[in-house]
Amino acid sequence: MVEQIAARVEAFDRTYSRFRDDSLVSAIAATPGTYRFPDDAAELFGLYHRLYEATDAAVSPLVGRTLESMGYGRGYSLRPEAERAPVPRWEDSFAFADGVLTTLRPLVLDVGAAGKGYLVDIVGRLLVAAGIDGFVIDASGDILHAGDRPIRVALEHPRDATKAVGVVELAGASLCASASNRRSWGEGLHHIIDATTGLPTDHVIATWAIAATALEADGLATALFLADPARLARDFDFDYVRMFANGRIERSTHLDGELFV
Amino acid sequence: MNTQRAKYPFAILTGLTLVGALAGCSTAADGDTAPASDGGDTSSTTAPDQADATTTTGTYADGDYTESAEYQSPNGTENVTVTVTLADGVITAVKAVGDGDNPNSKRYQSEFAGGIADVVVGKNIDDIKVDKVAGSSLTSAGFNDAIEEIKADAAS
Repeated sequence: MVEQIAARVEAFDRTYSRFRDDSLVSAIAATPGTYRFPDDAAELFGLYHRLYEATDAAVSPLVGRTLESMGYGRGYSLRPEAERAPVPRWEDSFAFADGVLTTLRPLVLDVGAAGKGYLVDIVGRLLVAAGIDGFVIDASGDILHAGDRPIRVALEHPRDATKAVGVVELAGASLCASASNRRSWGEGLHHIIDATTGLPTDHVIATWAIAATALEADGLATALFLADPARLARDFDFDYVRMFANGRIERSTHLDGELFV
Repeated sequence: MNTQRAKYPFAILTGLTLVGALAGCSTAADGDTAPASDGGDTSSTTAPDQADATTTTGTYADGDYTESAEYQSPNGTENVTVTVTLADGVITAVKAVGDGDNPNSKRYQSEFAGGIADVVVGKNIDDIKVDKVAGSSLTSAGFNDAIEEIKADAAS
C-alpha cells in the first residue's frame, strides 16, 4: 500500500511539478503544442475553472511565469527579475478538452492553489479502494479525514507557530490551510498571487477552508485570500476561517469550532 | 453604507396597494414581475422612501406579483425575492425569500463585536488538546537552502 501511494505521488509530481525538468508542466513551459494529460487532469482543471469564474479571475493556474519572475522557480533563485511577468488570461492561453491541452505559446502552469489537495483526495481514494475506511491524511496543512472518530485540529497562528488562533472539529471532510508566512522570500514576495494584478496579496494573511473534498478545500483556502466568502458560497459548499493583516479574524457561521479571540 | 436598503423589500408591506416593482436603489434589479393572472399595471420603479405612497397610477389585477432584487449588506451582495398577493387592490399576502432561506446555500457572516471583527488573542498549542495542527505547508529543502544563501549574502 505504501509503495502504491508513493508511486502515485511520484506520478502526480512528474506531471504537475514546476520544479523538475522532466515534468509535463516543464515541457509545456518550453514548447507550445498539444499535450495529453492523465485522467486525473479533468477534475483538477474543472475545479480551477470554477474558481477562476467565482473569483473573477483572481485565482488562476497561469501564475507560473509570474512566480518564476519573482524568483520562485526551478533552482530557487528567490531573486526577482527586473521585470515581473503579468498573468495571461485563461481565454487567451489554452484549451483543455477530453484530456488534451492545446497551447499556442509556451505556458507555465502552476497548480499550487489546489494541486496538493487533489493529490490528497487521490490518495484517499486509494485507501478506500483498499478497504481502509478510517484514516487521516496530513499533507502539511492539507488534511483529509475519514471514519468514525472526529479529530480536533488547531489552526496555527501565521505569525507565531507555537500558538493557535482556534480549533476546529473535523469529521469526514477536508481542512486545508493556507498562509503567506513560510513560502515567503523577501519584502512583499510570497506565493499567493492575485492573478488580476500579478502581485502577492497582503490583506488576508491566513485562511482555513473545510469542504467535502481536499481539492475544494485547498482551492478555496487560496480563493479566500482573493475573493469575498459570500460570493464563493454561491458556487461552493464550505466553512472557513480567515485572518487579516491587522490581526482580526473572521469565520463562517456554521463552522464547527472556536476561535481564540 | 445605507443599511436602510436592507429593509427596503419589507417596506412594501405598508402600502395598501401595490405601487411598483421592487428594485435596489443603485444596484440593478434582477428578475421580472410576473402576475399570476394577466393584466395588471406594474408601474415603474420607485425609490425606497416612496414605497409608502398609496397613490395608484392604475388598477392591478388580482394575483401574485414577484420581483427579485439585490442589495448591499456588510456581507456583500445579497438577493431577495418578494411575492405579493393582491386581491381587490389589497395586499393579502407577502412572502420574502432571501439567500439565507435557501437550503442549498449557507449564509456566511463575520464574527462581529460591535460591528468590528474580533482580534486574535491565540492560545499556546501546548496548552490545548488537539490531534493535528493546520498551517501553511512546510517548504522544501531546496527552498530552505536558497533562503539561507540569501541571508548569508545579505550578511556579507
